[in-house]
Amino acid sequence: MSLHGLVPVMLLAAVMSVSARAQDEQDSSRKDNFRYSLSAIEDFTVLGGTIAPTLESRFQNRLLLEPSFTYLYNNRWTLSSKVVGESETNGDTHEHLLVRETYAGLSVADFDFTVGRRLVHWGTGYAFTATGVLDPPLVATDPTDRLNIRAGRDMVKVDWEKGPHAVSLAYATSGLSGSQATVKNTAAFRYNILVNGFDTSIIAGKDLAGDSFAGVTFTRVLGQAWELHGDAAWRQHAAILIGGKYTARFGMTVIAELFSPPNIPYYRSETLSPSAGRQSYTFLRVGKSRLRELPGWKEWDAYASVVSNLQDHSGVLVIDVRRGFGNHFSSYVHMEGPFGSKRSEYGAIPYATTTSFGIRFQQ
Amino acid sequence: MFNLTQVSLSFRPGFKSAMLLSGLLLSSSIAFAAEDAQAMLEQSDAFRNGWSSYVLRVNIKNFEEGKSDEEKLYEVSKKGTEKTYVEFLSPRDKGRHLLMLGDDMWVYLPDTSRPVRITPLERLSGDASSGDVARTNYAADYNAKFVRTEKVGSLDCNLLELTAKRKGSTYQRILYWLRASDERPIKAEFYLTSGKQIKSATFDEFVQVRGKTLLRRMTLYDQIRKNSHSVLEYSDFAPRELPDKLFYQGRSDRF
Repeated sequence: MSLHGLVPVMLLAAVMSVSARAQDEQDSSRKDNFRYSLSAIEDFTVLGGTIAPTLESRFQNRLLLEPSFTYLYNNRWTLSSKVVGESETNGDTHEHLLVRETYAGLSVADFDFTVGRRLVHWGTGYAFTATGVLDPPLVATDPTDRLNIRAGRDMVKVDWEKGPHAVSLAYATSGLSGSQATVKNTAAFRYNILVNGFDTSIIAGKDLAGDSFAGVTFTRVLGQAWELHGDAAWRQHAAILIGGKYTARFGMTVIAELFSPPNIPYYRSETLSPSAGRQSYTFLRVGKSRLRELPGWKEWDAYASVVSNLQDHSGVLVIDVRRGFGNHFSSYVHMEGPFGSKRSEYGAIPYATTTSFGIRFQQ
Repeated sequence: MFNLTQVSLSFRPGFKSAMLLSGLLLSSSIAFAAEDAQAMLEQSDAFRNGWSSYVLRVNIKNFEEGKSDEEKLYEVSKKGTEKTYVEFLSPRDKGRHLLMLGDDMWVYLPDTSRPVRITPLERLSGDASSGDVARTNYAADYNAKFVRTEKVGSLDCNLLELTAKRKGSTYQRILYWLRASDERPIKAEFYLTSGKQIKSATFDEFVQVRGKTLLRRMTLYDQIRKNSHSVLEYSDFAPRELPDKLFYQGRSDRF
């Protein structure tokens, strides 16, 4: 690097140094903080009734190592990263590294500046999203991302927060996003306000060389047991999500969602024909975390879900059972059973069942 | 303070006057009792909330049939009576956060990376619920009524009946025993809207921190599953100026 090239770097360093020192003197609550976590997941999946070409491809083994950390300096500077190293055996064995998030952030007064790959969730749905323009794609049959492999978008983002108001501006690039054809360079805006219990957002933006879009979201808790949420968006056509959650007195929760997206590439699933017209989907999940009412079952969680396409009457039944062991280990079983005619969206899935068994270590 | 004795001496009543006076005295004393009860409650809250803005850690050990079967660690950041942010620090829960803003509550799950609204009933789940960790300003959540004085062991106590005054209150009703000499919490019973007792608590140990007496250890007993209890240990108390943006519900860049 030439001397001329070094001048702006030195100036920037000097400004940052002075700024940090001034902040130190003003702020008696200086706080450095470091958090880390490490997960290791062994996941073994068996496909039942598959039409896969070889016996080996009916079995899939995945070993995932997931370190993450966040360093917060002086309540002002942030450095954070979540990566996944995966070894996958499905006939052959492949290794690869996935960067879910890695970003640097700076907070100045009411502003937060972020550069890097970020996981952003602007939509309100559990299984679907109409407005999540920067969100990683949701998988309705695995809405909690069992293996933690959803990755963020590469972006520059500025957030401003004051009282109940918050404004975010983001520019996300498609350059490093892999092979997803629907991911384009995107400029997006979000205004969020919490008023009278309504957590409400207005979202707008444009895919460069693509569509413009706009949407609104809300969440609201009603009484002791009900939560309602919804997204409405316009991207060539209207997309609607409406959902709710009910909590029973003994802790069981029921989540229901109805999602109606237009049949355009942005919303269309890979298995759906472009000529299929608008589709509507439902998601129903019933379950309970910690079955503590049953003696000896305190460490167990159990959920059953159904994802359905209302047009072709196909769907997937999903069962999730988890059990914790002490402070570091847990295990799970995740089962999916598609149903419907062979030409329907979910009925065309080339297996009758898929069952995953997993062990997770967390530190 | 208004002196009831002086008022009564200023009358030379007939029967009607006596009735009027009795009514006046009764309503006055009820009003005073209510005010006093609320003041007692505020005083007792100071044993659990040392400063207007602070951070502390809570270690919860759950016991099943007398044996410790689970341990959880939380860092609680609290600003005023309306803003609480709880970070889950135990290995299996790392990445989880809980945010309380008045009556509204969100949980952040690492697998969804987004805030999920939770209902008041969801706050009750668990041996020690999120409400037990996050909502410790009872004077902001409950109306207090003085019931009577009574002995708990060898201690003279004021018994208060607390009734939820807002949606965000964790319990519908609490019976709360406070040491008469300084309103230090001694024990409590927690009830649901149905009237069923769900938990009870003893406030076991206090500690001196920067000139304040603060709760160090309490035990929560499950009244539905009688063989289960949780011990909550509080530590690392520190007054701290907390930025408002820590309590913004839309933030996803949490630890």
